[in-house]
Amino acid sequence: MENSIVKLRGYKDGLHLIINPKVSLTEVEAAIRDLLNGMNQPLAGTSIHIDMTTSPLTSDDLKDLETHLTENYDLVVSGVNIYDEKNESPILAAPATHSISPSLTTDNHPNFEQAQVVRQMIRSGQIISCLAGSVIVYGDVNPGGEVVAAGDIIVLGALRGNAHAGAHGKLSSVIIAMELVPLQLQIGSYVNRPPIDQKPRGYPEIARVGAEDIIIVEEFIKF
Amino acid sequence: MGKVIVITSGKGGVGKTTSTANLGTALAMIRKTVVMVDADIGLRNLDVVMGLESRVVYTSMDVIEKRCDLDKALVKDRRVEDLMLLAASQRNRKDDIKPEQMQVICEKLKQEYDFVLIDSPAGIEQGFHNAAAGADEAIIITTPDVSAIRDADRIIGLLQHQGIESISLVLNRLSPTLVKNGNMMSKNDVLDHLNIDLLGVVPEDTGVIASTNRGVPLVHNDGSPGAAAYMRIARRMTGQRVPIPEMREENFMSNLLNWFSRNK
Ligand SMILES: Nc1ncnc2c1ncn2[C@@H]1O[C@H](COP(=O)(O)OP(=O)(O)OP(=O)(O)O)[C@@H](O)[C@H]1O
Ligand SMILES: [Mg+2]
Repeated sequence: MENSIVKLRGYKDGLHLIINPKVSLTEVEAAIRDLLNGMNQPLAGTSIHIDMTTSPLTSDDLKDLETHLTENYDLVVSGVNIYDEKNESPILAAPATHSISPSLTTDNHPNFEQAQVVRQMIRSGQIISCLAGSVIVYGDVNPGGEVVAAGDIIVLGALRGNAHAGAHGKLSSVIIAMELVPLQLQIGSYVNRPPIDQKPRGYPEIARVGAEDIIIVEEFIKF
Repeated sequence: MGKVIVITSGKGGVGKTTSTANLGTALAMIRKTVVMVDADIGLRNLDVVMGLESRVVYTSMDVIEKRCDLDKALVKDRRVEDLMLLAASQRNRKDDIKPEQMQVICEKLKQEYDFVLIDSPAGIEQGFHNAAAGADEAIIITTPDVSAIRDADRIIGLLQHQGIESISLVLNRLSPTLVKNGNMMSKNDVLDHLNIDLLGVVPEDTGVIASTNRGVPLVHNDGSPGAAAYMRIARRMTGQRVPIPEMREENFMSNLLNWFSRNK
């Protein structure tokens, strides 16, 4: 039940779709069609993780692929991990990601939500996406870097790049950063481009969708 | 066994070749054995900056295609002992070389030399990957402007991805006057952004252009601030602890005041 372009594997944390790094988006999509159509059990509604090694797919390709999987196969993409070709450990180009164990997050949250913790800064050209929940970054997100999450985005550093929270349309999602000086913020389909050349304010800020359907930014004090 | 260091930037024209030539020369001047490899295939100019253009007979392409031995392809510097250059072919293109072939060359060179410096082409394509393929460490060159820094950031991500852990920064063409007037990013702005170790700062120095044109690396010209900066960086590369001086403005009054306060 696999071919040379995509493979399905079951791991402790769920199903992983493993993608050959050396192919184009169209080839990947065609291979997924062959793979999923050839299966006896339907996978609709299942949550899967995308794994690949160094890949020529751009962040837009990745987003397209995620939409493709959601719309055509009813799969929930819970995250994307990009691994080092050599040692198979998560790498920095799309930094190592960890899922907080469900027991930690389910306790006080009736709606189970996953969070990805990214333990290094996100540099230009790198993207982190968690389409099953929120993302926490321990470091800066530099211009040209991007974080996408179905839920909230929390940056324990300077957010200088792009962040898209509530990527599936959850408008109650927020973006919080120790230093909020992004190129662009997006919550659901609302976009906010802060003025160019803004200076850090010296306190953490939170961005959310306000009453007027615009993204408002204010000092973050507490939830 | 020596180490292979790729000198790279992402953005073009920020001083990779200038830095390779000066650091190679400076390291050889402090009695290290050095080979500089021009990995900018098709656009070689490290040999020109070194004033060795007329001595180049073979290139790395000849070594790869087995037309000559590696040792025979190395060109000896005219001025300093134990400084060699492996030139790049001008007839070929960047993708005529494979990363594995660069790795083989680097592996061999580091058996015999203390430092193997690779002058990388600009960009993030094949040429960059070839240049970085055999590297143990990387030196990122950037100028203090937003686009160079953005590209440096991208390159750092790619190098880390490749497994290169030791990555340090040389900030080139800093002008203290412009920083002071708020017209240029400061050293700290750049470091805050890129979050890697600072290996050194090279000031804007008009001597660089003259030395490039004469084919004599700036470090041969003792008095110049650029030469002093490159000499300090070379010492740091050998493990010596050499502080990075805060840059002063090239301004007569402030120099005078500094002189007085130092000689009190
Ligand atoms: N510190 C400096 N002060 C003044 N001029 C400099 C300095 N460093 C480099 N330059 C000038 O900048 C130009 C580009 O330098 P260089 O060729 O070393 O860059 P490069 O990064 O190798 O470029 P390429 O990407 O084309 O290979 C040259 O004309 C050089 O003289
Ligand atoms: Mg050059």
